[in-house]
Amino acid sequence: MLTLRDIRKSYRIGPTEVEVLKGVSLEIQQGELVSIMGQSGCGKSTLMNIIGLLDRPTSGSFMLDGAEVSYSDDDALSEIRNQRIGFVFQQYFLLSRLTALENVALPLVYRGDKGNNTLERCMELLKRVGMDDRAHHRPNELSGGQQQRVAIARALVGNPSLILADEPTGALDTNVGGEIMELFKTLNAEEGITVVIITHDPGIARQCKRVAVMKDGVILS
Amino acid sequence: MIHPSHLKEAARSLLASKQRTVLALIGIVIGIGSVIAMVSVGRIVQEESLRQFKEMGTDILTIDKEFGGGGPPGMPGAPAAGAAAKAALRLDTILAIPSRCPGIAAVAPSVRGSGDISFTGKKLERCSPMGVTASFLNINKLTMREGRFLSDLDEQSRYCVIGSQVAAELQKQGASQLLGSKIRIGDNLFTVIGVTNEVPQGGMRRFEPNEMIYVHITTGLRVFANAEIQSITARVSNGTTNNAARDQVMAYVASLGKGQAVRITSPEEIIAQMEKQMQMFTLLLGAIGSISLIVGGVGVMNVMLVSVTERRREIGIRRALGAKRGDIRGQFLIESVILSLIGGLFGIIFGIGASWLIAHFAKWQFALSFSAILLGVGVSNAVGIFFGYYPARQASLLDPIVALKSN
Repeated sequence: MLTLRDIRKSYRIGPTEVEVLKGVSLEIQQGELVSIMGQSGCGKSTLMNIIGLLDRPTSGSFMLDGAEVSYSDDDALSEIRNQRIGFVFQQYFLLSRLTALENVALPLVYRGDKGNNTLERCMELLKRVGMDDRAHHRPNELSGGQQQRVAIARALVGNPSLILADEPTGALDTNVGGEIMELFKTLNAEEGITVVIITHDPGIARQCKRVAVMKDGVILS
Repeated sequence: MIHPSHLKEAARSLLASKQRTVLALIGIVIGIGSVIAMVSVGRIVQEESLRQFKEMGTDILTIDKEFGGGGPPGMPGAPAAGAAAKAALRLDTILAIPSRCPGIAAVAPSVRGSGDISFTGKKLERCSPMGVTASFLNINKLTMREGRFLSDLDEQSRYCVIGSQVAAELQKQGASQLLGSKIRIGDNLFTVIGVTNEVPQGGMRRFEPNEMIYVHITTGLRVFANAEIQSITARVSNGTTNNAARDQVMAYVASLGKGQAVRITSPEEIIAQMEKQMQMFTLLLGAIGSISLIVGGVGVMNVMLVSVTERRREIGIRRALGAKRGDIRGQFLIESVILSLIGGLFGIIFGIGASWLIAHFAKWQFALSFSAILLGVGVSNAVGIFFGYYPARQASLLDPIVALKSN
């Protein structure tokens, strides 16, 4: 469902051109639980930005669900992000003014559909991540683990084909991080959702069915 | 793209930074308020002067003696009396106008006098003599406070009627009994037989009624130096248009021959001219008010720019979740428009309140101007869009990756 072929990305810093991704090729099937692991500076954040359609590669091909997506215009990329990708960030990135429920509903706002049962669906997802009793709390009233659960519900709300998680346990202690990983594994196993986790932690990577190791802008295995 | 949920969002985000919002609001309130106040006061002044004008009725024509292109005699460059100047209008031909022109109901010719005016040997300032007929009182909508007005039987008499200002002057000089007092005009002594009521200034009258000393026109023509009838006020008959009446008078004067000519002014012409002037005046006031509006608008822009900078991460999150550039732009535009509209609402109240106060202290009749309210709503909307567009565009052009990384 996701195919990267010879993806290159370089940035111009002053007079020199720095190549961060030096030809990344990667194929991920529907229903996989993959981690992309590597030390900081290996280019995994850049790769995640490209897979998440927040950035465009300098060259190479990126097919999502069988269609080339990398070079679409900004509005088209926004729409694909909205419809097919669910983001989970290290810092949760919930909007502090909104309640948990409103945060979960946020991606649906940009769909343009009226959604009569939007709230129902959001409640359902909060229940799925075990946060339904905190639906009307704001992020600052929730613990880190709870915030990340809400963020996962938000990533799921649009029925994406792919969950893209950037260091999802990076800000959590080991126990809570383990619970979050369990949640990902359950979602993957029970609902067949494709999950890509970017991490520098071998302990997290080991829990995934497949590990892609990155070093110096290329994927080793 | 504007989503309904953005309205709630915008209100919430404005409430989240109350202090800043209130400061920006004050700017807008003062800006819109001053535009509304200025325009509203302009309208009130316009209404006021038109009202004074219409008080005399719009069925009044002013007939002036036409000068042969040189200006009134005595002015520098004017032709010598009797040479190129048109011949003087004779009293009997003027008094014959109503019988010769069916469109004219009544005429009131008048003659202005000059010379020193004194009372018990003391000079009276700010008053001037005028020779009039009995019809003058009604045509000029004057009323008597004491005594009686001049009648047709007072021809060549030495009686006079005084305006309220003159009466007050006499009392200040020690006149205990106004009626019967004697006023000296030039070499002649006149006995006061009546006092007119006070009349507001302005309108069709070419004189200040409160400062007048009226004598009979026949007396005036005899005793005033260089007396000549130069102005006639005429009332148009019921059912005749001003234009028809004007044509009749023109034809009548032309039929007299002997080089007589008049210029006739109808109230419509003067009103139209006044309205044009007033519009310019209102426009000018509005322009002055707009300066503070611009200052208010810059305040809104400032607040929105700070808001964009503070909410970079939020913008990044929204973009990652699928917000298009247009969505972000719309979100910030809604905020600035809401800000401006709320400011506009208070501004309208403030502006109308201010114009009411001004009208109250100037003793003008207050009038609520709906066009000013519409203007206020429209202008505040425009301010919100105009000054909110740049910050909103800045927000929409943020790179989502950069925005996500910022604090």
